[in-house]
Amino acid sequence: MTSLEDKFEESKKLGLQIVRESEEDRLMTLSVGPQHPGSGHFRFTIKVDGDYIVYCDPDPGYVHRGEEKMCEYRNVIQNIPHLERPVIHDSSNITYSYSLAIEELAGIEVPRRGQYIRALASELNRQVYTLYWLAIYGIFLGHSTMFMWPTGDRELFIDLLEALTGARVTHAFNIPGGVRNDIPDGFKERCLRQMRYFQKRLKEYEDIFYNMPLFRQRTEGVAVLSKEDAVKLGVAGSVVRASGVPYDIRKAEPYDIYNEIDFKVQYMKTGDCFARSYVPFLDMQESCHIIEQLLDKMPQSGEVRAKLQPNPKGPPGETYRRVESGRGALGYYIVSDGTPKPYRVKISVGSFRNMLALPYLLVGQKLADMPAVYWSLNYWPVEADR
Amino acid sequence: MATYPQNFRFGEFVGSLIWLIFWILVIVTLVGLPLIFIILFYVPLPPVGGQVLTPYLFLTMVVDPSRTMPIIQHLMTTDLFRVAMFPGFTYAALIAAVTIFVERKFLAKMQLRVGPLYAGKIEGILQLIADGLKLIAKEIIIPSGADKPMFWAAPIMFVATAAAVVALIPAAPGYVVADVDVGLLAVFAILGFFPLIALLFSWASNSKYPFIGGLRALHQMIAFEIPFILSALSVVILSGTLNLTGIVESQIQSYWFIFFLPISAFVFYISSLAELERIPFDLPEAESEIVAGWLTETSGMIYGLLQLGSYVKTYALAALFVVLFLGGWAGPMVFPPQVQTPLINIAPLYDQQAANGTLWFTLKTFGVIMLMLLPRGISPRIRIDILLHTGWYKMIVLSFINIFVALALIYGNILGPGGLLVR
Amino acid sequence: MTSAGAFIKAIESGSKHLIFKRFTFRYPEQKLKFVGDGYQFDPKRGVGIAGYRGRHILFHDKCTGCQLCAIACEGIAEAIGMVKVDEQWKHNKKAIMPQIDFGKCVFCGLCVDACPFYALFMTNDYELSAFTKEHLIYTPGQLAIKPKYQGDVEIVIDDMGATHG
Repeated sequence: MTSLEDKFEESKKLGLQIVRESEEDRLMTLSVGPQHPGSGHFRFTIKVDGDYIVYCDPDPGYVHRGEEKMCEYRNVIQNIPHLERPVIHDSSNITYSYSLAIEELAGIEVPRRGQYIRALASELNRQVYTLYWLAIYGIFLGHSTMFMWPTGDRELFIDLLEALTGARVTHAFNIPGGVRNDIPDGFKERCLRQMRYFQKRLKEYEDIFYNMPLFRQRTEGVAVLSKEDAVKLGVAGSVVRASGVPYDIRKAEPYDIYNEIDFKVQYMKTGDCFARSYVPFLDMQESCHIIEQLLDKMPQSGEVRAKLQPNPKGPPGETYRRVESGRGALGYYIVSDGTPKPYRVKISVGSFRNMLALPYLLVGQKLADMPAVYWSLNYWPVEADR
Repeated sequence: MATYPQNFRFGEFVGSLIWLIFWILVIVTLVGLPLIFIILFYVPLPPVGGQVLTPYLFLTMVVDPSRTMPIIQHLMTTDLFRVAMFPGFTYAALIAAVTIFVERKFLAKMQLRVGPLYAGKIEGILQLIADGLKLIAKEIIIPSGADKPMFWAAPIMFVATAAAVVALIPAAPGYVVADVDVGLLAVFAILGFFPLIALLFSWASNSKYPFIGGLRALHQMIAFEIPFILSALSVVILSGTLNLTGIVESQIQSYWFIFFLPISAFVFYISSLAELERIPFDLPEAESEIVAGWLTETSGMIYGLLQLGSYVKTYALAALFVVLFLGGWAGPMVFPPQVQTPLINIAPLYDQQAANGTLWFTLKTFGVIMLMLLPRGISPRIRIDILLHTGWYKMIVLSFINIFVALALIYGNILGPGGLLVR
Repeated sequence: MTSAGAFIKAIESGSKHLIFKRFTFRYPEQKLKFVGDGYQFDPKRGVGIAGYRGRHILFHDKCTGCQLCAIACEGIAEAIGMVKVDEQWKHNKKAIMPQIDFGKCVFCGLCVDACPFYALFMTNDYELSAFTKEHLIYTPGQLAIKPKYQGDVEIVIDDMGATHG
């Protein structure tokens, strides 16, 4: 069996640009573009030979809005509402990493209760994002019930986040220095009750989706990404954990209070589509344990936010901090020049790195596998374009 | 988008009413009256109750309801009634419409949500009418370079073929549109026309995604026609006739065939799901892979006609399942022999056997349709190579098992003429 | 066959849901209940009070026209502009108050964090749709009205499943 590199070299001989096909051309060019129900806001072009895909060319940039440039014109606090928009479903994770970087630059100390609440919002948001991803995976495979059930159960967590932060999806909750408000009354009982119910629902998902023979036949053994290839391509998050590498930033470089929480890193060894779709499910179960521990160990009283001057700034310098979001490592590289507005902000997202694996994995698969492989790479188009 | 609601002016309202009445009068005078005269002078009218049925006699009979009975009784025996009302188009369209609404509500309940809610005061009952009006009002866009005659003809052919299958199925004793001696064979001959329509329409669309969808439809429907015919063959062996009414009669005389041929029933059920392009077999219309398959370029009423044809086909295949395996219209008698109604005496219209047969047939068909809706909530879409493997290997082998069982039953003198289980 | 067993388990799981109660609620007749009165900020302690971030409410007897909310929003959505009002207040000599354009507002609440005089809070009202863009600009007088929001359902979990009731 040829390695992935050989397969890609072979397919490159067919030409790198998309040309107008002639009458004798055996291959058909399909544009899985933004106006396609199976692609999201992302375009990739594939050439098919009969039913087999021979070449794939991803074309990101449809939703590029210049997030990084916009950060240079706003001060540190005003950056939060627009920085959470690249991946709005996971908003408490993308601003978490930004806050950690700014705190390191400006030398701000976050109180412990604030750190616990920040981690709580991050874990709840991870559940929300993973359920949404699972719902879309179901509908890409034609399973409309698997679209409705996770979307409904996601409502349990969105309800909790709305009580905690004040908005259902656009949280704007983490700021440099802590969080914006304390948890309301009655939150802990509500959270525990809804989580127990959610853990019962996870069994139903296994019955109707993961153990369904049709689903298994469609995803087992499809688009295998071996351990060496995964490490060489640099994929992130659940994709690399499904190929046998137990790497999770919460364990590898623990930030805030994650070194006091006890949890296991879930990974699988096979590296096919089924493993990539099952690892987020295991992650969700693990997140439930983390949330219970956080609610237990939280200090009963204390500040949630460090007092800041009106225009927080720090000495000139640069820093790079990473956080484990729903899709993998999400890092911020911030350069400050001593003024309240950052000089340069670079966001490094897991989706862009996962997209690099797409041309390698799609070559040789059937056309019907295209949505299954594409979405199993845990790719969020808006985040990759920033 | 914001449109300003116009102010209501009473004068304009009265003016529009008068305009409407004016046009109604014009149409009645210019079209209605000549029509009546043409019927009077040129069309041979049937005699009813000893008198020739002229429109004047018809109108006087309508005024006095007790004298309308002979007209209705005569009408119920004509072919026009069978084609248009029962068991023909109106009945099939009604069941199709109810199926669409029930499907949406049933799936919604399984998925823990409400379904259509806002159209109509009670639980969205007028949703279907709202959808129909929306589709009629949409613009029909035909791609440039498309084959126009085929593009316009395909949805009409689809509905016509589905209606042709409906025409062969008996719904009550004596009520069948076309009583053909080789009824079952005719059904399969007509069913073989559907892949052709799908392929021609997808080629006429002049686009890549419909082309892929049309090829998939062709592969799928052809692969499952053979298990379809083989599973029906076992029923023919047991009953000895190809006439659909005869098959039901032979089930009335012994027991329902599903008890003897359960595997055949299962194979027939799976093959009909594949013929109808229902989930899990909806590859020709796979939304996330090939945008809508061979239906991509349809819009407006062309799409509406294709959906109507698809649901009429659902009713037809479910009714066929009931006729072949579940005993057609057989059931315990729940209607009284005579009936007396207080105001209008409908005794001459009342046929006890027909009423009982209709009731049981409708109930059983509805049960089978609900069974066909169930996989939509449970399983994902299948892939083309798994589908072809199942259709050509597993289904054919399974259907042969029951052919041997049927042959054993006939030669062992258990069923068939003079058999042990024949009542 | 194990796959036949798995199919039957899936059918059983799906059919079980036909007897559970529905999770969604019927929106215009039933509305969600919120805990508390809306997002507020306490400038003395420097931390916010948890609540839903809906439409703003402006207390005319506290607003001094200092423009800090407009300055905070300038970098975010530019939705707040200061306008002259007809009222005479001792603490508001310039007689200007904020007007909010909800066509541009992103409901982040940083203007509430910026106000040092307890004058700008947020309420539970989210039904703000209008027919024209001009109707979405709320003047200070419109912002002073407290909304009447009646919520009646929330998530209830029992052994037949979760539902909104």
